[in-house]
Amino acid sequence: MTATIKKYSLLLLLVSVFGCSDKEHKPKEQANNTTKKDTSAFSNSETNTNPYSAVDVSPMDMSYYPADYPKLKMSKAVNTPPLARITYSRPHLQGRHLFHDLLKYGEPWRLGANESTELQLYKDVAIQDKKVKAGRYVLYCIPQANTWTIVLNSNIDSWGLIPDSTKDLFRFTIPVKHNNQHLEYFTMIFEKTDEGAEILMAWDDVEARLPINF
Amino acid sequence: MKKIIACFFVCSCYCSSLSAQSGTALPPVDKSPMDMSYYPNNYPVQKIQDKITEPLVARVIYSRPQKSGRAIFGELVEYGKVWRMGANEATEIEFFKPVKIGGKKISKGRYTLYALVNEDSWTIIVNRETDTWGAFKYNAKKDIVRIEVPVQKNDAPVESLSMLFEKAVIGCNLIIAWDMAKISLPINF
Repeated sequence: MTATIKKYSLLLLLVSVFGCSDKEHKPKEQANNTTKKDTSAFSNSETNTNPYSAVDVSPMDMSYYPADYPKLKMSKAVNTPPLARITYSRPHLQGRHLFHDLLKYGEPWRLGANESTELQLYKDVAIQDKKVKAGRYVLYCIPQANTWTIVLNSNIDSWGLIPDSTKDLFRFTIPVKHNNQHLEYFTMIFEKTDEGAEILMAWDDVEARLPINF
Repeated sequence: MKKIIACFFVCSCYCSSLSAQSGTALPPVDKSPMDMSYYPNNYPVQKIQDKITEPLVARVIYSRPQKSGRAIFGELVEYGKVWRMGANEATEIEFFKPVKIGGKKISKGRYTLYALVNEDSWTIIVNRETDTWGAFKYNAKKDIVRIEVPVQKNDAPVESLSMLFEKAVIGCNLIIAWDMAKISLPINF
């Protein structure tokens, strides 16, 4: 009997130890899995075989303000129109470092991948005391070590790789914070503030916030 | 024995504290990634290369669920029910100039696309309720037009839901393909 209990406890112990180490490494594993998914399940099997449209390695995503507006609308928690929406593609690091391997200070960065990153404003807003009219804009960035210049540009429906600076409409300089939580995928979301909202742009351990007054 | 139990207890506590620490407010990458297609095809690339031959007409933004070994039509997508033709945010089509679908004039602007799927034909629905999620609050009163199109077969199963515009004699067609099914929605302009 005691031997059985001992065996059983030992088993439980082993399970819990393995359970622990599993949980401990989960974030890493998840990151690896997502990376694998993107390169094997998506691009390898499909990039070459999908006869209509290959699945992008950097998937597109969309962020609304108010956050999760479509879900709020579905659950009838809002009856006013949305205020803003960002449509962007999400490159991932895959072992690279943002400011060593991917971006250079002083050179334009498309804040995404593939199609240029789009900010849609559903009403007129103010950014750093400048009035920005409702409409669609291309967003891109000129990063420096401690500040980013965020550019609103009128060359919509374009490819992000080469921004046309002759079509720049506004430039806003914002501070940058380093040493934040590490993010594998580039992330843009809106966060509510006292005056309106901020566009949070985060990747690797870097984040910057552009305040918008609605 | 007590030691073992104590050890187990400490270990499980450690476990739960670890799992409590994980979790972040930032959005993970969607399982069904979003994508967009333009007409003319590859318009954004043409634009930065100064190779535009036709003005911009339409753009569709949709999420791409994968077949993942499942039977899609008649199973995952039930016949006779309104389907969101995508995942997550409702599938959006934007027209940059007035067009005609099924003989109905449609002004420029953003619309939501749904489909009523059957084995041999799909009814494509253009609806004016935008910025919504899936087809969960689909309201037929906000339909702009419904058009029935025949189902064609693909040569091989298409893993991810795919949408692509192709040039037609008058205007373009929006091709929608997934698994073995393919439809072509004529858009005249």
